[in-house]
Amino acid sequence: MSTQARSDTSAPVEVGQAMLSVRDLTVTFPSADGPIRAVNGMSFDVRPRERLGIVGESGSGKSVTAQALLGLTPRDHTTGSIVFEGEDLLTAPQDRLRALRGWDISYVFQDPLSALDPTRTVGHQVAQPLLLRRVPKKEAHRRAVEMLGEVGIPDPARRARNYPHQFSGGMRQRVMIAMALIGQPRLVIADEPTTALDVRVQAKIIDLLYRLTDEQGVAVVFITHDLGILAGLAERVIVMYAGRVMEECSTDELYYRSIHPYTLGLLESLPRISGPVPERLLTIGGGPPAPSRLPTGCPFHPRCQYVQPECRTTPPPLERPPGGEHASACLRAAWLAERPGELR
Amino acid sequence: MTTPLLQVRGLVREFGHGPGLVRAVDDVSFDVMQGEALGLVGESGSGKSTTARCVLRLIEPTAGEVRLDGEDMLALGGPALRRLRSTAQLVFQDPYSSLNPRMTVADIIAEGIRIHRPRESSTTVKDEVVDLLELVGLRPDHLTRKPAAFSGGERQRIGIARALALKPKLLVCDEPVASLDVSIQAQILNLFADLRERLDLTLVYIAHDLSTVRHLCGRIAVMQDGKIREIGTREQIYEDPQHEYTRALMAAVPEPDPRSERAKLAARRSAQTTEAGRP
Repeated sequence: MSTQARSDTSAPVEVGQAMLSVRDLTVTFPSADGPIRAVNGMSFDVRPRERLGIVGESGSGKSVTAQALLGLTPRDHTTGSIVFEGEDLLTAPQDRLRALRGWDISYVFQDPLSALDPTRTVGHQVAQPLLLRRVPKKEAHRRAVEMLGEVGIPDPARRARNYPHQFSGGMRQRVMIAMALIGQPRLVIADEPTTALDVRVQAKIIDLLYRLTDEQGVAVVFITHDLGILAGLAERVIVMYAGRVMEECSTDELYYRSIHPYTLGLLESLPRISGPVPERLLTIGGGPPAPSRLPTGCPFHPRCQYVQPECRTTPPPLERPPGGEHASACLRAAWLAERPGELR
Repeated sequence: MTTPLLQVRGLVREFGHGPGLVRAVDDVSFDVMQGEALGLVGESGSGKSTTARCVLRLIEPTAGEVRLDGEDMLALGGPALRRLRSTAQLVFQDPYSSLNPRMTVADIIAEGIRIHRPRESSTTVKDEVVDLLELVGLRPDHLTRKPAAFSGGERQRIGIARALALKPKLLVCDEPVASLDVSIQAQILNLFADLRERLDLTLVYIAHDLSTVRHLCGRIAVMQDGKIREIGTREQIYEDPQHEYTRALMAAVPEPDPRSERAKLAARRSAQTTEAGRP
C-alpha cells in the first residue's frame, strides 16, 4: 500500500476517537522576574495509530508539553486537563501515573547517553520496565533481546550484554526506543529523538517509528525543531510559538497551504537541497522571545510582516473555519488562505 | 592561472598508537581559490573538523603540506606563524562555549587586535570594533554587555566579528549555524553571503548539513572516514553526484516537502523488504 493512500484514508477521524485529549494546558514556572508561562492554553487530540508532529523553536514550550503529557511537570504549576483513555493525568494519583509510564505511555528522549545508565548493561535497562512489573528475570531478558533485534540492533543477544558507551549514537537511540516499546505502549512521546544523529541514521529512526505505527498501531507524538523531519513522518502537525499553538492541520496543508505567517516564514527561510539557489534566503527578522519577556498580543507580532494594530493588543484565538480542519491563530488567516502559494 | 589562497596536499592526522591508531584525516588534498567558498561536508567522525583544525594548525598534522597565501604553514613557527595566522580565522560551532562569559563584547572582539598590533591606540581599536559590530549587524550599545545578555544568533554574530577583527583573507567556519534556531540560521547564512561579497572573503565552510552548504558554497567536498570521496562544483555534487556515498547522503536529507519525503520513505521501506526477503 502506498503511503499516500494511507494518510488520505486516515485523515478524517472523528474527534470522539481521541486516545489523548489535551485541553487548555498551561504550565507556569515561578521565577525571580515573576511567573513564566512555558505553555499557554494548549489544546489538541491524539488519535490511535496517529503520527502527530509538534514543531517549535527554543522557548516554544514543546518540550515542556512533552513533560506535561507524562505527568512530569509540577502539578501545582500545571492547569487544564490531559485525558488519556478517559483518565485525567493531571489529577490521577502518582502511583497510577507510575503504572502508566513506560507501560501505556512511554517516551524517547533527545540525548540517549545521559538518559541511559552507564553502569548497567543495555539488556538490563531495556528489560527494566518488565522487571518493575515482576516479569520473571529470564523472560524479561528474552523479551529485551527480542526487542533490541526488532529495533534493528544486529546480534542482539551479544549486544544486550554491552554497556551504553559501547554503542554509537544511532544505536543508543535504538536502545532508547526498544526501552520505550518493551511495555507495548499505545502512545510514544519522542522529544527530538533524532536531533544529535547523522542524516542516514536519522532516516533509519524515522523508518522505525513509521513501522511502529503502521504495523503495531502505536500512536507517536514526535517533537522537533526540524520541519524537514516531520514532512515524511507526521500525518498532522502542530506549530508552537511562545507556548501557544500557532497552527494545526494535516501535514500537506501545513507545507503546501499554510495560513500562518510564522509557519510561512519558517518554510521560506529553510535552505533546500533542490530547486533554484536564491541569492539571499528570505528570513523572519529578530528571534523567538524569551518566555520571561513575552510581547503583548500575538507573541509573533514583533516579527510578523502582516501585522495589524489589533495584533499588538489581543492574542488571536486558534480558530478553524466552519467545517474545516485547518486551524490558525492569526487574524489574517482567511486573507492568507485566499492567497495560496502567492506569498512564497 | 593564479595560485590558490589555500593549498592542502596529502594531509594526514593520526590519533592514538599501536592497534588503537585512528587515521582521522587520511591523505586529503584540495585547493581553495581567493574569493571562493568551499563546503566540507560529512557525517560525524568523517574528519571534516580535524581537517579544518589541521589547516589552521590548531592541531599538528601527522603528515602533509598546507600552504596559505603562498607560505608553508607547517614550516613556520613563532612570530612568523602568528603573523600568518591572522590571514585565516575560525568561527566556532557553539556560540555559548566559544565566548568568554566574563569579557565584554568590546574586549572579546578587540582581543585579537590588541595581541597582533599591541602598539595600536585605544581609540583606533575602539573605532575598528564599532565598525566590526556594525558589519555583523549589531549595535554600538552592545559593546559594554557580556555574552549572557545575547541570544544564540547574536552571539554567533559576535564570534564572526571577532574572527573578522584581524582582517583575514580566509574564514574557516565549523558548523556555525548548527546550534541556532531555525529562523535564525537563515539570517546568519545571509550574513556570510554578504560578508563574502563586501570583504572578498574566502570561506571554508564545514557542515553535516547538505542544504546549508548548497546555499553558501560554489564548490563542495564530501568526506567520509577521513577521505574526500568526491569534490566538485555545486551543480556537479547536487545534480549529478558520482560517488555512492554522496548519493546516499543526499537521499537521506529530510526536505520540507511531504510528497517527496513520503515517496522516499516508501522507497526505503520497499528496499528493506526486498533485502529481508532475500534467501
